[in-house]
Amino acid sequence: MSTNQKQLLELSINGEVYELAVARQETLLEVLRNRLGLTGTKEGCGTGECGSCTVLLEGEPVLACLLLAVDCENKKIDTIEGQSLEGLMTPVQQAFLEKGAVQCGFCTPGMVMAATALLKRNPDPSKEDVMESLEGHLCRCTGYNKIMESVQEAAKSYPEKG
Amino acid sequence: MYLPKFMLERPESPEEAATLLKVREKSHLVAGGTELFPRMKYGLLSPEIIVSLKGSKISTPEITPEGMLILDAKMSLTAVNTASEIQEKAPLLAMAAGRVATREIRNMGTLGGNLCQETRCLYFNQKHTFQFREPCFKRGGEACYFIPKGNKCWAVFMSDLAPALFCLDASVSIVGSGGVRQIEIDELYTHEPLRPISLKPDEIITKILIPKHEGPSGNGFAKLTMRGGIEFAGVNVAVFLAAEHDLATCKRARITVGAVSGGPQRAPAVEAFLTGKGLTEDVIKAASRKIADGLKIVPHHGYSKGYLAECLKSQAKAALTDATNAIIGAT
Repeated sequence: MSTNQKQLLELSINGEVYELAVARQETLLEVLRNRLGLTGTKEGCGTGECGSCTVLLEGEPVLACLLLAVDCENKKIDTIEGQSLEGLMTPVQQAFLEKGAVQCGFCTPGMVMAATALLKRNPDPSKEDVMESLEGHLCRCTGYNKIMESVQEAAKSYPEKG
Repeated sequence: MYLPKFMLERPESPEEAATLLKVREKSHLVAGGTELFPRMKYGLLSPEIIVSLKGSKISTPEITPEGMLILDAKMSLTAVNTASEIQEKAPLLAMAAGRVATREIRNMGTLGGNLCQETRCLYFNQKHTFQFREPCFKRGGEACYFIPKGNKCWAVFMSDLAPALFCLDASVSIVGSGGVRQIEIDELYTHEPLRPISLKPDEIITKILIPKHEGPSGNGFAKLTMRGGIEFAGVNVAVFLAAEHDLATCKRARITVGAVSGGPQRAPAVEAFLTGKGLTEDVIKAASRKIADGLKIVPHHGYSKGYLAECLKSQAKAALTDATNAIIGAT
């Protein structure tokens, strides 16, 4: 077996199934960005420190930069591109927009994914819960307060609430 | 940043993985990958074969009729933090797991991986492409840039779960190509920064066994970080206190300090001081003042030795207070 050998795999991303040949060392982030053109998921540090590559794997936030694509087969992957379907924004995205929680926008996709997972898990989060779920996300524009406010705002209008 | 090329093996059982690690040279085991892959991206190691445990099934926590809690080493840290069996039988471990890194990393990282992580230092854990100095001990050279004029490696072992398991008198079950063996958790650590884990290259931790603790008890875990989250510990303190039935006297104390040297260290002086004493505020204060006595403290990641020794006292006080409050709250 050579190191150049690729593996054929099926990835289920945002409800669509993609069939690709992927090298063993390719991360999910590389596949999303370089192969599929899903560039909403960002690469910040590439070593698990900044959270900008966060995607949802089976509904739980994970870091696409440290996840081998071959380990994601037969698992449900959600990225930022799958959030606003038919032009309608999700409550989290709407709140980010209304509260002005986006500055340069580089950390936003990761933050939105983590916040979406939080609200699915806990539709009525406290400030501490929001902080805990976003602690792995760095914002170099330091717009944390607005981001925290938007997640709490989004919780008010979250569809699965109650 | 890209991972170097490698071949990937995904055995279905730990026994198979151990055989693969034995027969294939330059192979490396991976479970969650959150600690190994950054090092590979930095170019600190490039194994030819990665033996991934992601193909094997993860068993749920089990409680034996004798009350021993048996955990699968492949459990994610989120699962360790939230599993009801662990919260009930070993709350200290659940508490410590909840303080590791971030939600994303806890979803990926595993219990066994956290126990077997590499020691870290500010100089070593980075890309060395544009470093033109002689390599340090960890990179195969003969210099230490971490401690001035250091004549050996001084990297620090920063696991949060190991101190908790020390306090719980846990043991680990290991599978190797030579068979299965079981060792106490403290035998797992060599306290040698260059090779902090005593496992042979073909050995894998499969299970963590936590014995039953009778009677009233309380737990505390405190961790010093520069920022709130996403950090390795500057220092961490795990406390397990067993109380007499009056809920005021300490029957047995277990205190372990992590992230200040090449391995987790018990604090026997404080443990002996607390045993048999009433758990009052003054006793806790006096005990936490003694915490640094006899401990080896290495300055690391911008924290000086004196600062760490002082912080250790306040962290110990916080953990001891939490443990004492938990005992009283248990009535």
